[in-house]
Amino acid sequence: MSLEVAFTARAGRFELDCTFSAGDDEIVAVLGPNGAGKTTLLRAVAGLVPVESGTIALDGVVLDEPATGTFVVPEARPVGYVFQEYLLFPHLNARENVAFGLRSRGMRAHDARAVADTWLQRVGLADRAKAKPRELSGGQAQRVALARALAMDPRLLLLDEPLAALDAGARAEVRRELRRHLTSFDGVRLVVTHDPLDALALATRLIVLEDGHVAQDGSIDEVTARPRSRYVADLVGVNLFRGVASGTRVDVAGGEHLVVADPGQGAVFAMVHPNAVALYRRAPEGSPRNVWHGPVQGIDLLGDRVRVRIGGRLPLVAEVTPGAVRDLELDEGVEVWASVKATEVVVYAA
Amino acid sequence: MRKLLVTPIVVAALAAGSAAAATARVGGAHEAKKPSGAVTVSAAASLTEAFTRIGTDFQRKYPGTTVRLNFGASSALELQIEQGAPADVFASADTATMDKLVNAGKATRPAKAFARNRLVIVTKRRNPEKIRTIRDLARVPTLSLCALTVPCGKYAAQMLQAAGVTIPESKITRGQDVKTTLAAVSPGDASAAVVYVSDAKAAGRSITTVTIPDAQNVIAVYPIATLPSSSNPATAKAFVRYVLSKPGQQVLQRDGFLPPAATQ
Amino acid sequence: MIGTAAGRARRTRGRVPVAAIVPAIVAVGFFAVPLVGLLQRAAWSHLWDDLSSPAAGDALRLSLECSLWATALSIGFGVPLAWVLARLEFPGRPFVRALTLLPLVLPPVVGGVALLLAFSRDSLIGGWLHDWFGVQLTFSKAGTVLAETFVAMPFFVITVEAALRSTDRRYEEAAATLGANRWTVFRRVTLPMVLPSIAAGAALSWARALGEFGATITFAGNIQGRTQTTPLAVYVLLQSNLDGAIALSLVMLAVSLVVLTLLRDRWLGNV
Repeated sequence: MSLEVAFTARAGRFELDCTFSAGDDEIVAVLGPNGAGKTTLLRAVAGLVPVESGTIALDGVVLDEPATGTFVVPEARPVGYVFQEYLLFPHLNARENVAFGLRSRGMRAHDARAVADTWLQRVGLADRAKAKPRELSGGQAQRVALARALAMDPRLLLLDEPLAALDAGARAEVRRELRRHLTSFDGVRLVVTHDPLDALALATRLIVLEDGHVAQDGSIDEVTARPRSRYVADLVGVNLFRGVASGTRVDVAGGEHLVVADPGQGAVFAMVHPNAVALYRRAPEGSPRNVWHGPVQGIDLLGDRVRVRIGGRLPLVAEVTPGAVRDLELDEGVEVWASVKATEVVVYAA
Repeated sequence: MRKLLVTPIVVAALAAGSAAAATARVGGAHEAKKPSGAVTVSAAASLTEAFTRIGTDFQRKYPGTTVRLNFGASSALELQIEQGAPADVFASADTATMDKLVNAGKATRPAKAFARNRLVIVTKRRNPEKIRTIRDLARVPTLSLCALTVPCGKYAAQMLQAAGVTIPESKITRGQDVKTTLAAVSPGDASAAVVYVSDAKAAGRSITTVTIPDAQNVIAVYPIATLPSSSNPATAKAFVRYVLSKPGQQVLQRDGFLPPAATQ
Repeated sequence: MIGTAAGRARRTRGRVPVAAIVPAIVAVGFFAVPLVGLLQRAAWSHLWDDLSSPAAGDALRLSLECSLWATALSIGFGVPLAWVLARLEFPGRPFVRALTLLPLVLPPVVGGVALLLAFSRDSLIGGWLHDWFGVQLTFSKAGTVLAETFVAMPFFVITVEAALRSTDRRYEEAAATLGANRWTVFRRVTLPMVLPSIAAGAALSWARALGEFGATITFAGNIQGRTQTTPLAVYVLLQSNLDGAIALSLVMLAVSLVVLTLLRDRWLGNV
């Protein structure tokens, strides 16, 4: 089973341009900032918004293709959709909500309710079958919404920010449970989220969506090891520069350059982990080939590490110990020197 | 030749006689005082066109006067006056209604007959259902008549009864005054209505009239009287006099009314 | 007193907003005084006799029957119309909406005249109905129902359309993703969610149909037992039997008060 998308879709003035395919052997997280087009992607796959050009196909069956005039209506697609606000029908109780899709497909009410009950049991809400949505907590509502979608036995499961509406306390537990359900589901799974923690916890593959197009697509490890956009770099917490390599020299914006260990050519990304950046109060001597200076723009304590943001012609983030901050008498506005060993710069093609 | 009269001939003659006498008396006593100010005249709906004309003429003859006209079914107007509605003159379409007021002391006796009217059948233009006689009224789907409490309704009932024609109530739409009754035929969708000749005349070409032979017809006698509650008795009396005078009578007869007594 | 904190608190918390209360009392009086006048003038001793007269009985029965039919028609045609106006995009939609709401601003008598011009035997449609089916709508009970529906349906449509517009379309989308076709979505999601508004709209249009006078008397006339509904009967009785008129008016008043009281929360909540 697989989902193949290669389309452009429009929502108001926003345009989404998306190409990827997902199999049933992976859990795909679609990660991106707000406004990136994640919900538009889900809506297009579900058939709630038609695409402008391109194709959406599931298991080889074309669901939407303007060129051939093909469009399968949402109710005919084997797609389960768990909405961000759950959208449980307010006038039906939990059991009736879960049974809704089955009855719409023609199952007798009695049988549908029985199936609904087994699903409610599976999500641990057998005792809340008669409760109305307004009587359920956020986590419970989310589980009912999941059961409702799963009861239809879909071949593709779409989840839109499944944990966004939950408070911090419920989130961790629900995340664990959700991972369990997702793992046991044997179809294509697409989870949309803006929280990288969710992506990391739930998914095996990451598609990064930015500004209406796919910025990065790969396994979690690949993406985090080789960020290809500022957004991902910020998520992962590394310094990322874009430049042109000529041998072991990479020219980046601002007129600065980095010296790297591995020679390369052409457009590249240069990634430096913050803990590879050393800080000095005076220009250092020694082997580091990459030395810059600039004012301290901010100091943030993260557990037992400190992140120091440095401005200047090559802004970067350094990670040091609190002791180092004390010893160097670092403070906002103080001029510091930063150095990075050439061997610590990771370069890869852009 | 039988004429069906609503009231005894004696009363009609008395009314005519006392009208002449009262005119003379009134004329003599108030010759010096010119009519002025406003008067409210409550008149039967069938007098709408005639009294509107008379009101204008009266105002022209006596500058400084204002005639306010209040038209409606005689029975409704009578109720209003009984309840204390301010009016100076009352003109009714039948003597029974006037007598009620006179007997209650709310109208000055004696009331004077100033006109008579006859009934007529009106139909939609060009008489599509070919109504020719009173009997034909029984076969139309809907007949428009005045409510039984209104003079023209009573007259119509008398006429039908005398002609031996019975029409079930479920085929009769009742209007609250003669103008509404006529309107049910035009612009309404009723087949026919029984109204006064004066109303048929006023409706002009929007309807077709079917004359009722005198022998089967009903003569309505219209009395007029001032009201003791009037705040402008002099002008009220002047108005009554004007209605009874030649110019007033001319207007009435031009509109299809008959003169008050056969002798005049 | 003014200076202390407690005094300040007492003043601000317990203060009666005179600027609002006084006009409100005047307004309530404006509505209550005529009602009191009616109750006071009523001839309670022979009220039952007044109401048991054939004319009164006919009028009340006719009013009930025709208003219920008018309400049923308003619902039957009003729900699809409200749905079309709320959910379907088509050219000229604002004009169509204005058309269906026209009877709200049109004087009822004008509505009656318009119906006459459209359905009397001289008209195109009325003539066709009469010549081919022997059906005459004017001066008939059906005509009364037609006139009442004409004035009452807009109330229903405006209520239900507003409710449909305010329901979250995403519930309908969710239903679609669960496999429900458009009819099922309407039947099991949209309709139940606007049911309170349908009830409120039905009650409003029923009350309007019950009280209609101008359009019915112009189009369907004043035939006892066939088209003389209670408002017409009151009008007729006003000129001959005031006690009877008041008795019937009290019945209408009682019915209206009951309906409006029951409607209270729903109406305030949804319209």
